[in-house]
Amino acid sequence: MDFLSLAMDTAKSLGADYADIRIQRSSTEMIYLRNLSLKNTSLNEIYGYGIRVFKDGAWGFAHNSVFTADAMNKTVKKAYAIAKESGRIKYGDGLILAHERGYIDSYKTQFRIDPFDVPLSEKVELMMEVNKTMLNFAEIKLAVFMLECRKDEKLFASTLGSRLDIQTVYIEPTLTATAVAEGDSQSRTYSHGGQAKGWEWVQSLNLTDKAVQVAEEAILKVHADSLGAEERKTLLLDPNHMALTMHESVGHPTELDRVLGWEADFAGISFATPEKLGNYQYGSKIVNFIADNTLVGGIATAGYDDDGVPNQKWYIIKDGILNEYGNTRATAPLIGLKMSRGCNRATNYFDFPINRIPNLYLQPGKEKLSPQELIADTEDGVYIEGRGSFSIDQHRENFQFGGDMFWEIKNGKKVRPLKKILYKSNNPEFWNSVDAICDERYFQTFGVTNCGKGQPGQRGRMTHGGALARFRYIRVGGSK
Amino acid sequence: MITFKEMQKAAEYIRKNVAADDYNFSINGSEDLLTRFAQNGITQHISGNKLNVNLSVAFDNKNGQASGNNLDLDSLKYLIKTAQSMAKLNQSDPEFVQSEPAHKLPDVNNYAKNTADLPMEKIVDDILKCVKNAKGKGAKLSGISQKHVYDTFLTTKNGFEGFDRSTSFSHSMTMKKEGVETKVSRSVKDHVNFSMQKMIEQLNSQFDSLNNPLQIEKGKIPVILRPAAVLNWLFYLIWTFDRRTADEGHTPFTDQIGKQFFGEKFTFRSRLDDPDLEASKFLNGGIPAENIDWVVNGVLKNMSATRYYAKKNDLKALRPYNIIVDGGDTTEEEMMKMVGRGVIINNFWYIRPTDRKTGEWTGLTRDGVLYFEDGKIQKSVTNFRWNEILHDATKRILAMGPSIQQEYYAKVPTLLIDDFNFVDVTTF
Repeated sequence: MDFLSLAMDTAKSLGADYADIRIQRSSTEMIYLRNLSLKNTSLNEIYGYGIRVFKDGAWGFAHNSVFTADAMNKTVKKAYAIAKESGRIKYGDGLILAHERGYIDSYKTQFRIDPFDVPLSEKVELMMEVNKTMLNFAEIKLAVFMLECRKDEKLFASTLGSRLDIQTVYIEPTLTATAVAEGDSQSRTYSHGGQAKGWEWVQSLNLTDKAVQVAEEAILKVHADSLGAEERKTLLLDPNHMALTMHESVGHPTELDRVLGWEADFAGISFATPEKLGNYQYGSKIVNFIADNTLVGGIATAGYDDDGVPNQKWYIIKDGILNEYGNTRATAPLIGLKMSRGCNRATNYFDFPINRIPNLYLQPGKEKLSPQELIADTEDGVYIEGRGSFSIDQHRENFQFGGDMFWEIKNGKKVRPLKKILYKSNNPEFWNSVDAICDERYFQTFGVTNCGKGQPGQRGRMTHGGALARFRYIRVGGSK
Repeated sequence: MITFKEMQKAAEYIRKNVAADDYNFSINGSEDLLTRFAQNGITQHISGNKLNVNLSVAFDNKNGQASGNNLDLDSLKYLIKTAQSMAKLNQSDPEFVQSEPAHKLPDVNNYAKNTADLPMEKIVDDILKCVKNAKGKGAKLSGISQKHVYDTFLTTKNGFEGFDRSTSFSHSMTMKKEGVETKVSRSVKDHVNFSMQKMIEQLNSQFDSLNNPLQIEKGKIPVILRPAAVLNWLFYLIWTFDRRTADEGHTPFTDQIGKQFFGEKFTFRSRLDDPDLEASKFLNGGIPAENIDWVVNGVLKNMSATRYYAKKNDLKALRPYNIIVDGGDTTEEEMMKMVGRGVIINNFWYIRPTDRKTGEWTGLTRDGVLYFEDGKIQKSVTNFRWNEILHDATKRILAMGPSIQQEYYAKVPTLLIDDFNFVDVTTF
């Protein structure tokens, strides 16, 4: 049966101004290995459909997992009834949806080896080897390997005539070694976050070598000193670390739903309000942030968003100035835009799509500059790798970050490892303090697969990227 | 929703068709209605049922697990085939524990018909009242109302069978006008115990007490933490409250069982017999829940443990299934008089660990901060960042208010804590 057409015909016959349906199968394989004990080896598959109905400027959404004509009609009718009920408390004079047309298209993540075709035994064997490699170090007391593979298969139809067939895949291997010594416990992690790639990518990572590096650095870290009281210092931030800082301090504040106050009750709002568009000095002149949902390997790349809007590429920050937001069909018209940038995404079939951060990256520096040259050019600073503690206020202005590995830089050289380092900054100080970014040869991407947002909470995903960058005069110190 | 009979029928099919040496079969279902509003209008409105069907099997000590969201025969066949083939391909787990046998479960009532039958129209009516109140103050209101009915079913190869049906209703709302922004939230298992009028009054009281905030110096300042802040704080403390990671040296709880690790005024328990709170009948793969003291007068009595770790070390395989922190009888007015100056915190935000070994956490204040001096509230102040060792902070508790129900799973008091470590001030 053509459930897509059935649902859309029913919605139209009820009088819906707009409706769409997402039939979605989400498969997640999780393997969690802790000190050679397999704590979780699971395959989860959920399959169902969510129907949105838009009537008189208000939304209704209902979901179901029963695939019969009767169940589908009832679900459409429920969504319609909910939309009518929502209309009793309209947003302003009622929401308006940005202009869009229908598309008939398909999209598939490009890969050579489907991770779901790789036998479990092969994955577990690799993970055991990595785990054993870490535990061969006497001071490593905890070795963890988490592997997540996820596939989403979606069929989307809308009353605009769209019929989309979308399949996305990502893989996320994460290895962590924790050293215990001298009354302390410190960990080091290797992770690129999720990547929209096939198993061939995992094979290319040489994870056993990475395990040695991670274990050695965890041991270095547990024996390292911290810094004293907070003082202004230079920071060199690697792209894995910056993936988190840009996510929190650029990605979230430029989601238009936050800007409009839609997340005020939980995730928060944004300081980057519309009157700042085109004139707010968000970063220094060399800071350019590009939103790119067409990025190959990006985990927000899917051809189209869950509004049925094509993936696009645009500047969020251009030459340091706030340029544009990430938005959706329902939010874009509220600041006078005619078209959406296509950032509406839901996690599972039963989730209502919400305004999400796109793939977002810091454009590499235009001048040739290598990490070695940047370190050599830094007299006194701290080099931070990877992601650690992170906390930011609900307006996305004031924040404190840690990291995964820290190195002190003196006179152009990494002189010693450090631990328990925290830095504090705010918008716009932080991105305006950038005075150097390595060039495109050193550009790397890192996925975020656990972006919590919404009520009820959804787990979003997107890719960030950059090259090593230098930040001047930031408050840096050791934790207690 | 799926009926109990349908669950038992599925369990019978599993019993007859699983060839593995051991299995756990669970069904978790929910019926959900969620109405979300922002800037005085509804932006999201969801209804539907969800189901998670999970089969975990073992051949000898090799595990495999599969889950889906359907209970029909084809889906069950697929689960069995997938879980069993994963287990066969897997390696041995040295920490494998056999499934639980039959247990007598405690008699707990987590279901309230009032909540289950709550119609969408009544929820929207109540939101409309809240929005009208906000408009009357020239403010914008954002939040969510939600009701849920949850089913939990578990059966094992070794004879355990448990079922629980529970309900919850929750409402939260943030009112904002220019620089004033504050929130109230509450949840109950029985909607009859929920008063929207009281929520509106609490919101108005908080809102009216705030004005455009001024900045004061960071530093070690006495704080009055209202219940929402205390629960938020405790939630993160519990996150690391694990016996194994403590024993392995990764957290501050290492070698602290039986010792005065927290302040003497701090007592934290989970209880089956509190009529207002939800309490799971069974935990961790079929362990019957029981009343448990986690911290008594500052002495660390018990910590969470998995079934494997509990069996290996002769511990109870329990976790905090609800949260009760003992209170006192000091009012906020009395607290303000006890210390020269300080701040009242409505809530915390974005709490994260900065050092898991020392137990240091960071976070911010949220939803309005009031500065008091000479026993009286003086002004609204901007938010702070704090870096604090939370278990140490309990040693600085000077006074406690009555323990009140904050969520359907928690009762906590207002706490007066000396010298809270504020390390930064925010720009708003």
